Amino acid sequence: MSLVFRPKHIFGETFSSLRRNFLMGFTAITTVAITLFIVGVFSIIVFDIQSVLSSIESQVEIAVYLKDNISDDLKVYIEDEIKDWPEVEEVIFISKDQALERFKTQNEGSDILKEIQGNPLPASFEIRLKDPQKIEQVALRFVDKDGGNIEGVDEVIYGRNYVKKLFSITAVTGTIALLIIIILVLATMVLIFNTIRLSIYARRKEIEVMKLVGATNWYVRAPFLFEGSFEGFVGGSIAVLLLYFLNRFLLIKGETALVETMRIKNLALLGTNNVIIFIYLAIILLGILIGLLSSGFALRRYLKV
Amino acid sequence: MNMIEFRNVSKIYDNDSVALKDINLVIKKGEFVFMVGPSGSGKSTFIKLLIKEISSTNGTIFIAGRNICNLKNNRIPQLRRNIGCIFQDYKLLSDRTVFENIAFALEVIGKPNYIIKAQVPQVLKLVGLFNKMDSLPHQLSGGEQQRVCIARAFVNRPPILLADEPTGNLDPATSDGIMKLLSRINLIGTTVVMATHEKSIVNAMRRRVVELEDGIIIRDQRRGVYGS
Ligand SMILES: Nc1ncnc2c1ncn2[C@@H]1O[C@H](COP(=O)(O)OP(=O)(O)OP(=O)(O)O)[C@@H](O)[C@H]1O
Ligand SMILES: [Mg+2]
Repeated sequence: MSLVFRPKHIFGETFSSLRRNFLMGFTAITTVAITLFIVGVFSIIVFDIQSVLSSIESQVEIAVYLKDNISDDLKVYIEDEIKDWPEVEEVIFISKDQALERFKTQNEGSDILKEIQGNPLPASFEIRLKDPQKIEQVALRFVDKDGGNIEGVDEVIYGRNYVKKLFSITAVTGTIALLIIIILVLATMVLIFNTIRLSIYARRKEIEVMKLVGATNWYVRAPFLFEGSFEGFVGGSIAVLLLYFLNRFLLIKGETALVETMRIKNLALLGTNNVIIFIYLAIILLGILIGLLSSGFALRRYLKV
Repeated sequence: MNMIEFRNVSKIYDNDSVALKDINLVIKKGEFVFMVGPSGSGKSTFIKLLIKEISSTNGTIFIAGRNICNLKNNRIPQLRRNIGCIFQDYKLLSDRTVFENIAFALEVIGKPNYIIKAQVPQVLKLVGLFNKMDSLPHQLSGGEQQRVCIARAFVNRPPILLADEPTGNLDPATSDGIMKLLSRINLIGTTVVMATHEKSIVNAMRRRVVELEDGIIIRDQRRGVYGS
C-alpha cells in the first residue's frame, strides 16, 4: 500500500471543512471541552477522596485500651488470642510509657504537656486488619455477653463511623459521576459523528472519484479521521485549560486544607507524583480517542469503502 | 494474451432488474471493442463490472488472467489503477480546474508532485487542452469536458481504457476528434472498450463490435458495423 504522506490532503480539508460547518464543529468542540472538563474535575476529586480514605484506612484500625491494673498473665493471654485471629495483619503493644512518649512528640510545644501530671495514658493493643471491612466483627470480640468489655479491657475504639459513611458516599457519587460522564461522552460522540457525516456528504463527489481512480481506503478515510481527532484534541485542550484555572484558583485551596488538617500526602495537585499531569494528558488523549472513534463510526456508516 | 474475459457472467440489480445474462466474452490485449446496443441493454453495467464499481451476481471475470470476482477489498485500488475509465456522467469536480481535476487522479494514488507536474501537461497536450488547463469544467464545451475525462483516465497510462458513451451528445465533428484520440491511445497498445449507441461512429471505425440486447450478446463481429 503506497500511502505517500500528503499534509495538504490530510490537514487541508479539516480547516476548510471547519469553516464550512463552523457551527457544527464549534458545537462538537464545545461539548468535548465541557465533557472532558467534568471528567477532569471528577477524576481529581475521586483521586483525592481515595487518598483520604486510604490514609484513614492505614491508620490504626482497632485500639484496645487496657485497664491500668491488668495482670501480666491476662495481658499476654489477650495478645496471644488476638494474634491467633486470621483477620489480623499485625498487632502492636503500646505500653503506658510508649503512649506518653508518643503523645509528647505529637504535641510538641503545646501547652497541654505542661498540664500533664504522671502518666494518665493507658497501655493498648493496636490492631491492623488484613481487610478493613471486618473491623466491626473483630472489635465485637472484646465485648462480653452483658454488653460491657471483657476483663482487663477499658475501652475499644474502632472504625469510626464516618469512614463507613465516606465509603458509601464515594460509591454513590462515583456511580452517578460515571453515569453522567458516559452520557456526556455519548452526546459528544454523536456531535462529532454528525460533523464528520456532513463533511463526508460535502465531499461525496470527490470521494467517489477518488475511489474510482484507485485511491486506497485509508487514503480516503485519513482526512475524516484527522478531522474527528482534531476536534477531540481541541476540545480536550480547552478542557485542560479550564481545569488548570479551576485548580489554580479553587481546588488547590481545598487540597491545602486537607494537607494541613489531615496530613494527607498523595493528592492530585499537591502530591509528589504529578498525578495532575497524567490527568491532563489523559484528558487530551481521551479527546483524540473520542474523535477517532466517532469519525470511525461515521465512516463505517456513510462511506462504503 | 486475454486482457478481459467474462465467463457466464450475470448481473441482477437489487431491484431484480436483470442487466446482463450469462455473458461470455474474450477481449485480447491491444484490441479496440465497441459495446453497442439500445439504452438499457447493459453497456454501462458491463463497464462498471470491470472496475468493480459493482460486483457480478454470477460467473467470473478475469483481467489480465486474474479473477477479479474474489478480489479482496484492499486489492481493488490496484485493479482500478490499471484501468482508466471515462464515465458516462463525466464525474469532473466542478470546483477544480482542468489541471487540478487530472492532477487529482494522480495525487490520490500517491504519485509524487514532480511526476504530476510532468505528466498532466503532457496528457493535456495529447487531448488538445493545454491552453485550457486553468479553466473550470463549467467554462468548457461538452466536447472539451469529455476530453478532460479522457485525459484523466489516461494520465496514468493504464493498459486498459474503458469509455462509456464518450461521444454522447456531441456533434459529429467533435465526436470525430474524440474517436481519433481514442484510436491513437489504442495504437500505442492500450486495450480500449467503448460503449456507444451511435451508428455512424461505429460504422466509420470498422472495429470489433459486440452488440447487447436486454443483457444478452446477440452479435460479436470483427470489423463490424452497427446493425446488420
Ligand atoms: N443501480 C441500478 N439499480 C437497478 N437497476 C439498474 C441500475 N443500473 C442499471 N440498472 C438497470 O440495468 C439495466 C442496464 O442498465 P445499463 O445502465 O447497463 O444500460 P446502458 O446500456 O448503459 O444504457 P444507456 O445506453 O442508457 O446508458 C437497465 O434496465 C437499468 O434499468
Ligand atoms: Mg450507460
